[in-house]
Amino acid sequence: MNRTVLIIGLLIVAAIVAILFMGLGKDPAHIESPLIGRPAPGFALKAVGSGETIDLTRYRGKPVVLNFWATWCRPCWDEHPVLTANAQMLGSQVQFLGVVFQDEESKIRSFLEQRGWAYPTLVDQAGKTAIAYGVGGVPETYFLDRNGNIVAKFAGPMSAEDIQSNLQKAMK
Amino acid sequence: MIALLFVLALQLKVPDAEQFVGPPKGVPITDVAVLDRRTHEVGALLRCPVCQGLSIADSPAEMAVNMRGQVRELLARGYTQEQILGYFERSYGQFVLLKPKFNGLAAAVWILPLLAVAIGLVVVVSKAKKLEARVVPPSNDDPYLARVRELVDKE
Repeated sequence: MNRTVLIIGLLIVAAIVAILFMGLGKDPAHIESPLIGRPAPGFALKAVGSGETIDLTRYRGKPVVLNFWATWCRPCWDEHPVLTANAQMLGSQVQFLGVVFQDEESKIRSFLEQRGWAYPTLVDQAGKTAIAYGVGGVPETYFLDRNGNIVAKFAGPMSAEDIQSNLQKAMK
Repeated sequence: MIALLFVLALQLKVPDAEQFVGPPKGVPITDVAVLDRRTHEVGALLRCPVCQGLSIADSPAEMAVNMRGQVRELLARGYTQEQILGYFERSYGQFVLLKPKFNGLAAAVWILPLLAVAIGLVVVVSKAKKLEARVVPPSNDDPYLARVRELVDKE
């Protein structure tokens, strides 16, 4: 009986240690999106500058890089030229979209005029689109495949390598 | 001008809860006081994603304000607490729930230590019983005890 109890006890302790160990290597700031593999929440938002309403479904058939950002977010400033350069380089193969939330349109327009842009920037009033995507902070970027499904999420400012590696998943 | 703004507003579309958790299953709340109270109660169950351990009911962050606004709107439309929590969980995962669900790894983290304690108790009780069984009654052959008894009897 003692040996059986000892083995069961050791197995339980091993299971607890394994569960705790699994959490050790994780970045506490990184939260896996439950939306990966699911259809991207649909939206139609107003574009800064043109005032045109852009519906996400318009881009069905090509991968989409959906970047949530704001002008008050310092890391977004660093990321902006990387996104712009990649959008210019990839041209019509991939659609880049910026979604700005918790911001003012005049500030967004001024930011884009100073730093340039290569793709539409949309305004998310009351942050409803950001909430539907599970955005916890900016910048956060979602990669959508040709069928409109979310295949990857990146939290934080991206490098060109980050964009390329995540785009590979979207372009499969 | 108003008509133009109305048309523009109609053109905009934001993700709606109905897309993800279906139509409302409850009764729309119209009383402002009740709506305020329910918004606070449901908001207290949701974690503010940009704060350190604060619920959206307690956080002044703009993200929390937006989320509170959405909770309020959904309650007013007749969504139940379960549907609202489900909607936010769908976007943010279980992380957003301040009271995690009792399933998967979360359940194992609770159950395994309790199981370990239960097994420990079984071991302690069985050991104690064995020790009790091993207690040998004092022998009459012990000269020391015999002398003690003799002295006690004399008293």
